[in-house]
Amino acid sequence: MSFTQPSSVPLPPPDAEVNIICCEYCPVACAYKAYTWPLGRDGGPSAADNALGVDFPTALLSGAWPSENMHNVILRNGRPHNVIVIPDKDTQAVNIGGTHSVRGGAIAKKFYNPNSPTADRYKTPLLRVRGDLIPISWDMAFDLVARLSTHTIENYGELAWGMKIYSYQFYENVFSASKLAFGEIGSPNYSPHHAPAEGDDVPGLSDTGIDAFGSSFEDDKEADVIMISGSDPYETKTVRFTTWQQPGGAKLIYVDPRKTFTAAYALKNGGLHLQLNPGTDVALYNAMVREVIAQGWEDKEFVDRYTASRSELNEETKWRRAMFGMSFDEIREYVFSRDEFTLEGAEGITGVPADQIRQAAALLTGGGGARPKAMILFEKGLYWSHNYENTAAIGNLGVLIGATGQPGRATGRMGGHQRGGQKAAGYPMDKSPHFYEGNPVEMDTERWLVEGNTRFRWVVGTNWIGAMGATQALAARVRELTSIGPTVASTNVDTAFEQLRSRIDEGGMVVVHQEIYPNDSTQYADLVLAAGAWGEDNYARNNAERRLRIYEKIADTPGQSLPDWKIFASVAQRMGYGGFDWPDTNAIFEEAGPKSAGGRRDFSALVELAQERGVRAHDLLREFGTTGIQTPIVRDGDQLVGTARLHANLEWNTNSGKANFVMPDWDAVAARNAQIGPQGDEVWVLNGRINHVWNNLFDFMRREYSTQRWPMNFLEVNPDDAQRWGIESGDLLSIESDNVIDQLGGRTTGSFTAVAYVADTVPPGVTFTYFLFPGSPANSVTPGDSNLQPINLRYNFKLGKGRVTKIGTTDLVGRMSFVPRNLV
Amino acid sequence: MAELTRREFLLIGTAGGAVVAVGVILPLSQLAKDQPEAVAGSTTTTTTATSPPTTAAPAAVVGVFPRVRVASLGEVNATDPITFDYPLQGQRNVLVKLGVPASAGVGPDQDIVAYSSLCTHMGCVVEEYRPEHRALGPCPCHFSTFDLANDGMVSLGQATQNLPRVLLEIEADDVYATGVVRLVYGFANTLQGADSVEVS
Repeated sequence: MSFTQPSSVPLPPPDAEVNIICCEYCPVACAYKAYTWPLGRDGGPSAADNALGVDFPTALLSGAWPSENMHNVILRNGRPHNVIVIPDKDTQAVNIGGTHSVRGGAIAKKFYNPNSPTADRYKTPLLRVRGDLIPISWDMAFDLVARLSTHTIENYGELAWGMKIYSYQFYENVFSASKLAFGEIGSPNYSPHHAPAEGDDVPGLSDTGIDAFGSSFEDDKEADVIMISGSDPYETKTVRFTTWQQPGGAKLIYVDPRKTFTAAYALKNGGLHLQLNPGTDVALYNAMVREVIAQGWEDKEFVDRYTASRSELNEETKWRRAMFGMSFDEIREYVFSRDEFTLEGAEGITGVPADQIRQAAALLTGGGGARPKAMILFEKGLYWSHNYENTAAIGNLGVLIGATGQPGRATGRMGGHQRGGQKAAGYPMDKSPHFYEGNPVEMDTERWLVEGNTRFRWVVGTNWIGAMGATQALAARVRELTSIGPTVASTNVDTAFEQLRSRIDEGGMVVVHQEIYPNDSTQYADLVLAAGAWGEDNYARNNAERRLRIYEKIADTPGQSLPDWKIFASVAQRMGYGGFDWPDTNAIFEEAGPKSAGGRRDFSALVELAQERGVRAHDLLREFGTTGIQTPIVRDGDQLVGTARLHANLEWNTNSGKANFVMPDWDAVAARNAQIGPQGDEVWVLNGRINHVWNNLFDFMRREYSTQRWPMNFLEVNPDDAQRWGIESGDLLSIESDNVIDQLGGRTTGSFTAVAYVADTVPPGVTFTYFLFPGSPANSVTPGDSNLQPINLRYNFKLGKGRVTKIGTTDLVGRMSFVPRNLV
Repeated sequence: MAELTRREFLLIGTAGGAVVAVGVILPLSQLAKDQPEAVAGSTTTTTTATSPPTTAAPAAVVGVFPRVRVASLGEVNATDPITFDYPLQGQRNVLVKLGVPASAGVGPDQDIVAYSSLCTHMGCVVEEYRPEHRALGPCPCHFSTFDLANDGMVSLGQATQNLPRVLLEIEADDVYATGVVRLVYGFANTLQGADSVEVS
């Protein structure tokens, strides 16, 4: 016998409370159920004795097994409770059968539990006094934020007041923040967590008239062939791959400089891996467009009936489309006028063999035979390399083959996060100081800040500085701006206000950071506002197929922390604004309903019907369970009907209602590549997401299961490069560039460290790292100048570069896995 | 424990070990690594490096692990894992000689390990062994791959636990299974829900 204690997990008793919620992380948003019950009243292994209604042991693929990492202990209504958060095995959508990713599967560990690594959740607001963050009262925190905001706006104008905020963290929070920022203050100095400016992230696609989130996951299953660019679906949109793409059996054309798991999977299953050189997407897609037209493989009926002519394009009122929109004849003329877009020319630029480009064109179109149902999906590897041109080029291919609006036929994004960005008021474009050829574009808030124009910045739910290009140059400037004037030396509210006001008046900047945990940007904060999180209030949000669902409250917020919406509302009220006296999130959701009308996320009909019935809109949404309902929601009498796919009515988002092509300007891209690409002994330092973790690891640094796998950031290095540089897996590497373009277009330096992960995932001359690992600023070697892409102010996030040097070893060999991550 | 109050919940928190200081990211995995495996009679339910930190009451001990001969040392090889059920019937495991020393390895080269082959994602049997990478997988269902040289951790995949590791002992020329750390797929308690294997 042995003295080892058997492992076990407590089971919910039959009377456990059940809440529905979706995963916090990727845009797939798997459905979960949370079972909560007081400690010491566990259920048993027989179906009759547990709330899951299953006999243990459960069968394989039952979707009913709570692993140890699906359990936690939380405070609920002030009392300790067990919680099991388990995929909903009965859901009718998304993660059918109760499957899940490694990220969401362990989401129970997200909850605050003081006996776990989540113990450092913020529990009170904090003020930096003589250099240290110390607890203060909410009364004082609200007072300071309101008075400093008012002082800034009254003395320096609303453009000096900035907000940097998540774009997705539930409808209710984004709505309340934007009601303050846009509706009341009216500042264009507002940008999302992922970009230096508000606005469209995939403008080239949008200018074709195609919505970036027009399809359903069902279409992935319906499709015969799916081309995926710049996003590994298995790793980062897991259940979309395992539940929809893989079982659907579509042949995959995987486009990525890296041979990831999905690349290997595509090759093994009759598909293609187009392993292009970084930054060359436009040449590849232009060559495919040319090859399709040359062979006569385009969808002629679609092009004839549903794409705009020159005269129709001349009627377009949106400046970008008017400037860059193209008819079929025009795109044909462009791609045939340039040798770069012959198969051989494109091979020379992209490194993708001409034969593979032709095969891809044939796969997508049927090569003259029966036309397959084809989808084109992409994400940040594409549109954070070159923004406008890449999204235009891939959109053109979608239009050319009619991949839009029909079952199994779509062009759009995979998504990076869920969709909760319903604003309360429009972006004040008329106040933006930035223009492209006379046309206003959304303000680059980082450039504006570096220029010294922002006196007050409220940062909400993001490692703001690490998430921007040329990170270290930005950080240095922020340190400078926050070091001006006197140091706060008192917890007396009036004294603290005067000292921070002095900084503002002397040309400095005050930073407020509203967060749940400290992150790499917190060191610059003067004030920390302790926020609530997922599962700590009732919220609603869409996933990447526009599926709207309720996220119910499961646990209490830690200590005195408050949900974001309450913080925004309290400050707004202190600033004297009306209309912020919501009693709960449902009231905000109901106010947001009418504002969503007419758009992709339109849930106005749901709010309208709820009000007619005299029920709360959140409660009506809850009736749709974990299946939810896809927006736009329309009324059919007393019924609500979801929308499976956009453009099914054969209308696109243009004045003419027809789709069109968009100028995919290779010259602009080639010139930019020459400016930002590796020089001398530098190599590409690409970055992106990986399977186990999400975003800035705010939860995953506090989940032992994740930190065992990824104790620190890594750099994938090709075995040939590793040999050349004398590097083995487990070595500590420096990645450095002295040629990074900063926010003002100057040259700066950047560096970070990571553990070597030698793998054939990357080709020689290309390395890859996580994009936002704590303490490892990958964006220190990516460009931070949005003027490189003046049409739409975005960074070339995915085109980092640097010199790789071994600076030592780590102790990670033997406790971190270095097994190849592309075994199929 | 059952009537733990909010105050007690918070007090337990301050007494806990794995607390991260404000503004400082500690190597949590190192903390995890340093946690000893608990034994019967311990007052905590923490049994492995990756088990959840919890203030829940300890699970009742429903049995003890049998000591079972699995194979002779000479039978354990580096290419073809030996499969065996343990501790209960249907709880399938693989026994393999990695060829490199592992922290959990036994035998003259400290490289013999055994892990559950029921995937901790959704329970499919994962028995494709890649000796060159010392990896088990990918699982035929959803492709989780496990690193047997690193405590059965998921190198890529969707499982929410490392593979349960079978504790091994060597006596004379034989390998014995003596226990399992981490929960086996499908079970609420590793020793509850099926008949025990025969004790040799």
